[in-house]
Amino acid sequence: MMPDTETLPGDSAVPNVAVDPRLLEILVCPVTKTTLTYDRAANELVSKAAGLAFPIRDGIPIMLPEEARHLDGV
Amino acid sequence: MTEALTPAERKPHPRAALDADSVRAAYARWAGVYDAVFGGVSAWGRRAAVAAVNALPGRQVLEVGVGTGLALPHYAAGKRVTGIDLSGEMLARARARATGAATVEALLEMDAEATSFPDNSFDIAVAMFVASVVPHPRRLMEELRRVVRPGGDILFVNHFAAEKGPRWWAERAMAPASRALGWHPDFRLEALLPPEDVASADLRPMPPVGLFTLVRLRN
Repeated sequence: MMPDTETLPGDSAVPNVAVDPRLLEILVCPVTKTTLTYDRAANELVSKAAGLAFPIRDGIPIMLPEEARHLDGV
Repeated sequence: MTEALTPAERKPHPRAALDADSVRAAYARWAGVYDAVFGGVSAWGRRAAVAAVNALPGRQVLEVGVGTGLALPHYAAGKRVTGIDLSGEMLARARARATGAATVEALLEMDAEATSFPDNSFDIAVAMFVASVVPHPRRLMEELRRVVRPGGDILFVNHFAAEKGPRWWAERAMAPASRALGWHPDFRLEALLPPEDVASADLRPMPPVGLFTLVRLRN
Protein backbone atom coordinates (compact mmCIF):
# COMPACT_ATOMS: atom_id res chain seq x y z
CA MET A 1 0.00 0.00 0.00
CA MET A 2 2.86 2.33 0.78
CA PRO A 3 6.15 2.69 -1.11
CA ASP A 4 8.21 -0.37 -0.32
CA THR A 5 11.48 1.47 0.10
CA GLU A 6 12.45 4.13 2.53
CA THR A 7 14.07 7.31 1.32
CA LEU A 8 17.40 7.59 3.03
CA PRO A 9 19.27 10.83 3.70
CA GLY A 10 21.40 11.86 0.75
CA ASP A 11 19.23 9.98 -1.70
CA SER A 12 17.09 12.75 -3.00
CA ALA A 13 19.17 13.47 -6.10
CA VAL A 14 20.10 9.89 -6.94
CA PRO A 15 17.86 7.03 -7.97
CA ASN A 16 18.06 4.47 -5.21
CA VAL A 17 18.59 0.74 -5.37
CA ALA A 18 16.45 -0.46 -2.53
CA VAL A 19 18.40 -1.85 0.40
CA ASP A 20 16.20 -4.71 1.43
CA PRO A 21 15.17 -4.22 5.07
CA ARG A 22 15.51 -7.98 5.52
CA LEU A 23 19.11 -7.71 4.39
CA LEU A 24 19.77 -4.99 6.94
CA GLU A 25 18.35 -7.34 9.54
CA ILE A 26 20.56 -10.26 8.65
CA LEU A 27 23.83 -8.35 8.28
CA VAL A 28 26.31 -8.99 11.05
CA CYS A 29 29.22 -6.96 12.35
CA PRO A 30 32.30 -7.55 10.18
CA VAL A 31 34.50 -7.53 13.28
CA THR A 32 32.56 -9.61 15.80
CA LYS A 33 30.01 -11.33 13.47
CA THR A 34 27.32 -10.43 15.99
CA THR A 35 23.95 -8.90 15.14
CA LEU A 36 23.50 -5.25 14.25
CA THR A 37 20.70 -2.85 15.02
CA TYR A 38 19.48 -0.22 12.59
CA ASP A 39 19.44 3.27 14.04
CA ARG A 40 16.87 4.89 11.81
CA ALA A 41 17.46 8.43 13.04
CA ALA A 42 21.20 8.33 12.51
CA ASN A 43 20.89 6.03 9.50
CA GLU A 44 23.57 3.78 10.92
CA LEU A 45 24.00 0.09 11.59
CA VAL A 46 25.17 -0.27 15.15
CA SER A 47 27.39 -3.04 16.49
CA LYS A 48 27.18 -2.86 20.26
CA ALA A 49 29.71 -5.66 20.60
CA ALA A 50 32.34 -3.79 18.59
CA GLY A 51 31.29 -0.32 19.74
CA LEU A 52 30.98 0.78 16.13
CA ALA A 53 28.27 2.47 14.08
CA PHE A 54 28.46 1.76 10.36
CA PRO A 55 27.10 4.55 8.15
CA ILE A 56 24.73 4.18 5.22
CA ARG A 57 25.72 6.65 2.54
CA ASP A 58 23.60 7.19 -0.54
CA GLY A 59 21.76 3.98 0.28
CA ILE A 60 24.93 1.87 0.46
CA PRO A 61 25.84 0.41 3.87
CA ILE A 62 29.55 0.86 4.49
CA MET A 63 30.59 -2.15 6.52
CA LEU A 64 34.21 -1.14 7.03
CA PRO A 65 35.55 -0.69 10.58
CA GLU A 66 37.81 2.16 9.44
CA GLU A 67 34.76 4.05 8.15
CA ALA A 68 32.65 3.41 11.24
CA ARG A 69 31.93 5.83 14.04
CA HIS A 70 33.27 4.77 17.45
CA LEU A 71 30.56 4.70 20.07
CA ASP A 72 32.89 4.95 23.08
CA GLY A 73 32.66 8.15 25.05
CA VAL A 74 30.23 9.93 22.74
CA MET B 1 45.28 7.55 -19.76
CA THR B 2 48.84 7.20 -18.53
CA GLU B 3 49.23 10.97 -18.44
CA ALA B 4 46.65 11.01 -15.65
CA LEU B 5 49.08 9.13 -13.41
CA THR B 6 51.95 10.76 -11.59
CA PRO B 7 55.38 9.13 -11.81
CA ALA B 8 54.92 7.81 -8.28
CA GLU B 9 51.67 6.15 -9.29
CA ARG B 10 53.31 4.52 -12.28
CA LYS B 11 55.82 2.75 -10.07
CA PRO B 12 55.02 -0.89 -9.42
CA HIS B 13 53.44 -1.57 -6.07
CA PRO B 14 55.69 -3.54 -3.78
CA ARG B 15 53.50 -6.51 -2.95
CA ALA B 16 53.68 -5.93 0.81
CA ALA B 17 52.40 -2.37 0.39
CA LEU B 18 49.23 -3.47 -1.33
CA ASP B 19 46.90 -2.93 1.56
CA ALA B 20 43.22 -2.17 1.42
CA ASP B 21 43.83 1.57 1.47
CA SER B 22 46.02 1.51 -1.59
CA VAL B 23 43.53 -0.68 -3.43
CA ARG B 24 40.73 1.71 -2.56
CA ALA B 25 42.81 4.69 -3.66
CA ALA B 26 43.61 3.03 -6.97
CA TYR B 27 39.98 2.26 -7.71
CA ALA B 28 38.85 5.71 -6.64
CA ARG B 29 41.22 7.13 -9.27
CA TRP B 30 40.14 4.64 -11.91
CA ALA B 31 36.38 4.56 -11.36
CA GLY B 32 35.66 7.10 -14.09
CA VAL B 33 37.53 5.32 -16.85
CA TYR B 34 37.42 1.72 -15.64
CA ASP B 35 34.74 0.54 -18.06
CA ALA B 36 36.40 2.08 -21.10
CA VAL B 37 39.86 0.81 -20.23
CA PHE B 38 39.13 -2.59 -18.72
CA GLY B 39 35.57 -3.36 -19.74
CA GLY B 40 36.67 -4.73 -23.09
CA VAL B 41 39.60 -6.88 -22.11
CA SER B 42 37.72 -8.42 -19.21
CA ALA B 43 34.35 -8.85 -20.96
CA TRP B 44 34.88 -12.45 -22.02
CA GLY B 45 35.79 -13.56 -18.53
CA ARG B 46 32.93 -11.64 -17.00
CA ARG B 47 30.36 -13.06 -19.42
CA ALA B 48 31.69 -16.58 -18.91
CA ALA B 49 31.51 -16.26 -15.14
CA VAL B 50 27.95 -14.93 -15.19
CA ALA B 51 26.93 -17.67 -17.63
CA ALA B 52 28.41 -20.23 -15.23
CA VAL B 53 26.51 -18.66 -12.33
CA ASN B 54 23.29 -18.63 -14.34
CA ALA B 55 23.72 -22.32 -15.14
CA LEU B 56 23.87 -23.21 -11.44
CA PRO B 57 20.67 -23.94 -9.54
CA GLY B 58 21.19 -21.62 -6.55
CA ARG B 59 19.30 -18.35 -6.30
CA GLN B 60 21.22 -16.25 -3.78
CA VAL B 61 24.38 -14.92 -5.40
CA LEU B 62 27.20 -12.90 -3.86
CA GLU B 63 29.29 -10.95 -6.36
CA VAL B 64 32.55 -10.02 -4.69
CA GLY B 65 34.19 -6.94 -6.16
CA VAL B 66 31.09 -5.93 -8.07
CA GLY B 67 32.95 -2.77 -9.09
CA THR B 68 31.08 -0.60 -11.56
CA GLY B 69 28.49 -3.35 -12.00
CA LEU B 70 29.52 -4.45 -15.49
CA ALA B 71 28.19 -7.97 -14.84
CA LEU B 72 24.91 -6.98 -13.21
CA PRO B 73 22.77 -6.72 -16.38
CA HIS B 74 23.71 -10.27 -17.38
CA TYR B 75 22.39 -12.33 -14.48
CA ALA B 76 19.40 -14.54 -15.15
CA ALA B 77 16.04 -13.27 -13.96
CA GLY B 78 15.79 -15.91 -11.23
CA LYS B 79 18.97 -14.85 -9.46
CA ARG B 80 19.12 -12.49 -6.51
CA VAL B 81 22.50 -10.78 -6.54
CA THR B 82 24.18 -9.04 -3.63
CA GLY B 83 27.21 -7.03 -4.75
CA ILE B 84 30.04 -5.92 -2.50
CA ASP B 85 33.06 -3.76 -3.21
CA LEU B 86 35.71 -1.94 -1.22
CA SER B 87 35.41 1.17 -3.37
CA GLY B 88 32.50 3.53 -2.82
CA GLU B 89 33.32 5.30 -6.06
CA MET B 90 32.96 2.08 -8.02
CA LEU B 91 29.76 1.15 -6.16
CA ALA B 92 28.19 4.49 -7.00
CA ARG B 93 28.55 3.57 -10.66
CA ALA B 94 27.24 0.09 -10.02
CA ARG B 95 24.18 1.57 -8.44
CA ALA B 96 23.51 3.78 -11.44
CA ARG B 97 23.81 0.71 -13.65
CA ALA B 98 21.65 -1.45 -11.37
CA THR B 99 18.77 0.98 -11.10
CA GLY B 100 15.69 -0.95 -12.10
CA ALA B 101 17.46 -4.31 -12.27
CA ALA B 102 15.22 -6.75 -10.45
CA THR B 103 18.06 -9.20 -9.94
CA VAL B 104 20.08 -6.81 -7.76
CA GLU B 105 19.21 -7.34 -4.13
CA ALA B 106 21.74 -5.01 -2.54
CA LEU B 107 25.03 -3.20 -3.04
CA LEU B 108 27.23 -2.94 0.01
CA GLU B 109 30.64 -1.53 0.80
CA MET B 110 32.61 -4.30 2.45
CA ASP B 111 36.03 -5.82 2.80
CA ALA B 112 35.81 -9.16 0.99
CA GLU B 113 38.13 -10.71 3.58
CA ALA B 114 35.82 -9.72 6.45
CA THR B 115 32.24 -9.39 5.26
CA SER B 116 29.08 -8.68 7.23
CA PHE B 117 27.21 -11.80 6.16
CA PRO B 118 26.23 -14.63 8.50
CA ASP B 119 27.47 -18.14 7.70
CA ASN B 120 25.79 -19.96 4.80
CA SER B 121 24.15 -16.81 3.39
CA PHE B 122 24.60 -17.60 -0.30
CA ASP B 123 24.23 -20.43 -2.79
CA ILE B 124 26.94 -19.03 -5.05
CA ALA B 125 29.81 -16.60 -4.66
CA VAL B 126 31.57 -15.23 -7.71
CA ALA B 127 34.69 -13.06 -7.65
CA MET B 128 35.84 -11.59 -10.94
CA PHE B 129 39.26 -10.00 -11.14
CA VAL B 130 39.41 -9.78 -7.36
CA ALA B 131 41.59 -12.64 -6.12
CA SER B 132 44.89 -11.00 -7.05
CA VAL B 133 43.84 -7.61 -5.70
CA VAL B 134 42.97 -8.46 -2.10
CA PRO B 135 45.80 -8.25 0.42
CA HIS B 136 45.30 -11.82 1.69
CA PRO B 137 43.83 -14.13 -0.98
CA ARG B 138 43.63 -17.13 1.37
CA ARG B 139 41.55 -15.08 3.81
CA LEU B 140 39.23 -14.20 0.94
CA MET B 141 38.87 -17.88 0.17
CA GLU B 142 38.13 -18.73 3.81
CA GLU B 143 35.54 -15.97 4.01
CA LEU B 144 33.77 -17.19 0.87
CA ARG B 145 33.75 -20.73 2.24
CA ARG B 146 32.08 -19.34 5.35
CA VAL B 147 29.34 -17.29 3.68
CA VAL B 148 28.47 -19.83 0.98
CA ARG B 149 26.36 -22.75 2.17
CA PRO B 150 27.82 -26.25 2.14
CA GLY B 151 27.26 -27.70 -1.32
CA GLY B 152 27.19 -24.25 -2.89
CA ASP B 153 29.64 -23.00 -5.49
CA ILE B 154 32.54 -20.56 -5.41
CA LEU B 155 33.74 -19.13 -8.72
CA PHE B 156 36.69 -16.96 -9.59
CA VAL B 157 37.72 -15.33 -12.80
CA ASN B 158 41.24 -14.09 -12.65
CA HIS B 159 44.49 -13.91 -14.38
CA PHE B 160 46.82 -16.55 -13.04
CA ALA B 161 50.46 -16.47 -14.02
CA ALA B 162 51.28 -18.64 -16.99
CA GLU B 163 53.54 -21.54 -16.18
CA LYS B 164 54.89 -21.29 -19.71
CA GLY B 165 53.68 -20.75 -23.26
CA PRO B 166 52.55 -17.86 -25.43
CA ARG B 167 50.75 -15.80 -22.83
CA TRP B 168 53.90 -13.93 -21.90
CA TRP B 169 53.32 -11.16 -24.44
CA ALA B 170 49.79 -10.44 -23.27
CA GLU B 171 50.94 -10.41 -19.67
CA ARG B 172 53.72 -8.01 -20.49
CA ALA B 173 51.36 -5.74 -22.40
CA MET B 174 48.94 -5.70 -19.48
CA ALA B 175 51.53 -5.22 -16.77
CA PRO B 176 51.64 -1.42 -16.40
CA ALA B 177 47.85 -1.06 -16.18
CA SER B 178 47.67 -4.15 -14.01
CA ARG B 179 49.96 -2.62 -11.45
CA ALA B 180 47.91 0.56 -11.38
CA LEU B 181 44.86 -1.50 -10.38
CA GLY B 182 46.72 -3.69 -7.94
CA TRP B 183 46.67 -6.70 -10.23
CA HIS B 184 49.70 -8.92 -10.08
CA PRO B 185 50.91 -10.41 -13.35
CA ASP B 186 52.73 -12.99 -11.26
CA PHE B 187 49.71 -14.05 -9.18
CA ARG B 188 49.40 -17.83 -8.93
CA LEU B 189 46.44 -20.04 -8.17
CA GLU B 190 48.33 -21.46 -5.22
CA ALA B 191 48.27 -18.03 -3.56
CA LEU B 192 44.47 -18.22 -3.45
CA LEU B 193 43.75 -21.89 -2.86
CA PRO B 194 45.23 -24.43 -0.51
CA PRO B 195 46.68 -27.51 -2.24
CA GLU B 196 43.57 -29.69 -1.78
CA ASP B 197 41.44 -27.03 -3.48
CA VAL B 198 43.90 -26.64 -6.35
CA ALA B 199 43.54 -30.36 -6.93
CA SER B 200 39.73 -30.37 -6.89
CA ALA B 201 39.06 -27.08 -8.70
CA ASP B 202 37.49 -27.04 -12.14
CA LEU B 203 39.69 -24.76 -14.27
CA ARG B 204 38.64 -23.33 -17.64
CA PRO B 205 40.88 -20.97 -19.63
CA MET B 206 38.93 -18.07 -21.14
CA PRO B 207 39.47 -16.12 -24.31
CA PRO B 208 41.30 -14.00 -25.26
CA VAL B 209 44.30 -16.35 -25.43
CA GLY B 210 43.60 -17.89 -22.05
CA LEU B 211 44.62 -14.73 -20.29
CA PHE B 212 41.93 -15.31 -17.68
CA THR B 213 40.83 -18.55 -16.06
CA LEU B 214 37.41 -19.46 -14.70
CA VAL B 215 37.85 -21.43 -11.48
CA ARG B 216 34.93 -23.29 -9.89
CA LEU B 217 34.95 -24.97 -6.50
CA ARG B 218 32.24 -26.88 -4.69
CA ASN B 219 31.92 -25.62 -1.13
